[in-house]
Amino acid sequence: MRRPSGLTAYAFLYLAFLYLPVLFLPLFSFNSGTIVAFPIKGWTLDWYRQLGAQDTLIQALANSLMVGMVSALMSTAMGLFAARAYTRYRFQGSAASEGLVMLPLVVPGIIVASSMLVLFISLGLKPSLTAVILGHTFLALPFAVSILKSAFDDFDVSLEEAARDLGSGVIETFWRVTLPVIAPGIVASILVTFTVSFDEFVLAFFLSGNRPTLPVYIWSQIRFPAKLPNTLALGSLLLLASILLLVVAEYFRRRATKSRV
Amino acid sequence: MTDTPIISLSNVGKSFGSFQAVSAMSLELKEGEFFSLLGPSGCGKTTALRMIAGFQEPTQGRVEIDGRDMAGIPANRRPTNMVFQSYAIFPHRNVGDNVAYGLRSQKVPKPEIAARVAEALEMVELGGLERRGATELSGGQRQRVALARALVMRPRVLLLDEPLSALDKKLREQMQFEMRHLQRSLGITFVMVTHDQYEAMTMSDRIGVMFDGRLVQVDDPATLYARPCNSKVASFIGEMNFIPGEVTAESSGKLSVTAAGFGALAIPANPNVETPGKSAMLGIRPEQLEIAKAQPADYDATVRGTVSDVAFYGENVHYHVQVDGIDRPVAVSVPNYFHTVDYRQGDQVWLGLLGDSVIDLGQQDQ
Ligand SMILES: Nc1ncnc2c1ncn2[C@@H]1O[C@H](COP(=O)(O)OP(=O)(O)OP(=O)(O)O)[C@@H](O)[C@H]1O
Ligand SMILES: [Mg+2]
Repeated sequence: MRRPSGLTAYAFLYLAFLYLPVLFLPLFSFNSGTIVAFPIKGWTLDWYRQLGAQDTLIQALANSLMVGMVSALMSTAMGLFAARAYTRYRFQGSAASEGLVMLPLVVPGIIVASSMLVLFISLGLKPSLTAVILGHTFLALPFAVSILKSAFDDFDVSLEEAARDLGSGVIETFWRVTLPVIAPGIVASILVTFTVSFDEFVLAFFLSGNRPTLPVYIWSQIRFPAKLPNTLALGSLLLLASILLLVVAEYFRRRATKSRV
Repeated sequence: MTDTPIISLSNVGKSFGSFQAVSAMSLELKEGEFFSLLGPSGCGKTTALRMIAGFQEPTQGRVEIDGRDMAGIPANRRPTNMVFQSYAIFPHRNVGDNVAYGLRSQKVPKPEIAARVAEALEMVELGGLERRGATELSGGQRQRVALARALVMRPRVLLLDEPLSALDKKLREQMQFEMRHLQRSLGITFVMVTHDQYEAMTMSDRIGVMFDGRLVQVDDPATLYARPCNSKVASFIGEMNFIPGEVTAESSGKLSVTAAGFGALAIPANPNVETPGKSAMLGIRPEQLEIAKAQPADYDATVRGTVSDVAFYGENVHYHVQVDGIDRPVAVSVPNYFHTVDYRQGDQVWLGLLGDSVIDLGQQDQ
């Protein structure tokens, strides 16, 4: 069957519209001029070199890494139990609870952020990295659940039964069979949820208080034209890291699916 | 071997909500026997097996293994091991680690584990394959690994859920033979679930036939074939012509009947019949009928018919013969002794029948 030729052109235009702006980021990060406009004045790596010397930036990066790792671990751990329950058991309200878990995907970030701020303050939790971690765990949970659900979907239940049959109790079965078999899914989930947290801006902006995460720091720097090239360089690095992380995550996710004998 | 049954089910039932998957199942298995549960898809075979294994708790009745009540005892503390239909080979472990799994779980000393794993793999003819990855095995090899992984535990009872259904015909027949051989030499009780009547017949000492959650008949293969307890069992095991008849008299192990088409016959009484009655269904195996051009002598009943269909199976030939007074054509199976097909569609033939080969199946269903 021949596709209508206009469709291919449309697809390319669409992709260009989506990703071309993103490509300007690394392009201008090598521009020696400070104005973001064509023509490009000359090529330089200075903006990248200067990054290492900025203490507040390094601190923001450390904050983001910490928040990302903790919320990735928390959401993946919670997602593990939820995903196992959703795939293994049919229970009352399972569809409703799954819908609830997936809700952060569709609720506007600004609403989640402002309501969390109100909630945390009323609970006596001041804006802080702890608050950001809790918020990000909530945001990342649907990603963890859906990745781990697909890992459990491909998991043959009789593997666990075989382990029980061969003498393992519930806990030993989990450690020696369930966990290793879905390990690739867990790695994929940790990487994706980490990326979700690492890139997140709105919640972090509301909840981080005086210790910014990297996206919040970048936003604060964009106001100073002189700092713009530095920010572009930083953004390019983040872009590269995110892409790498997601590629690795996808690799593990596919391995999880293939692990079924 | 002792007299206490190794497995005893008394009145065991299992319901899922309002659906009764297994009802009132009572059964005693002798130590060292090869027992098969045979029945159509969805009749509750797997459920019954899983209640013995400990993956499902019965909702009624009592499961005993070796004289001990198994209520509340989980699968990991029962003296049974299972070969799963999907084989459930651990994908993240190699063959040796798969087989060693249960022994490690029991904290058996390392040197003993290695020896027993090697021995078990030898037993299923996979000697030396310890290092092979689980994902690099063929279907037949996976089946053998699953068998070795269960047998290495030296269970009192080995449970097998359709262990051969994933294999192709040739391999299946070879494994049937090997498993039977293995079972005899180890003396372990095997309980196998299957929906393949030939598999059940060739491998088992006894077969339990199940329909709709009920155990209908338990007998050795020959008895099951010769004296099925009703038409349903008869039609599930082998081929059978069903001929309606009337019982006219009954005396000391003999019935006088009038069979549709064939007329008056003296046939043996069937002690297994569930519901005896005046209007009985009579069963005639296709290979018990004689087919000839001229009226055959020395038969209790003969009848004329027209060949309506011929099917060539290789080792034998099936003729379908239309006989006056019988609705459906009568199937006759003839061994292919001389590589000839003697009759064609439309030929006039005679059928001969001995009363002793007719099976009383009890009250007609319809
Ligand atoms: N966990 C369950 N919940 C509800 N119904 C079930 C469950 N397990 C089995 N059943 C039902 O019980 C009946 C018997 O199932 P079972 O698996 O024992 O059949 P089977 O004889 O092994 O069939 P097959 O030859 O197809 O494997 C089926 O109708 C099935 O749908
Ligand atoms: Mg089954």
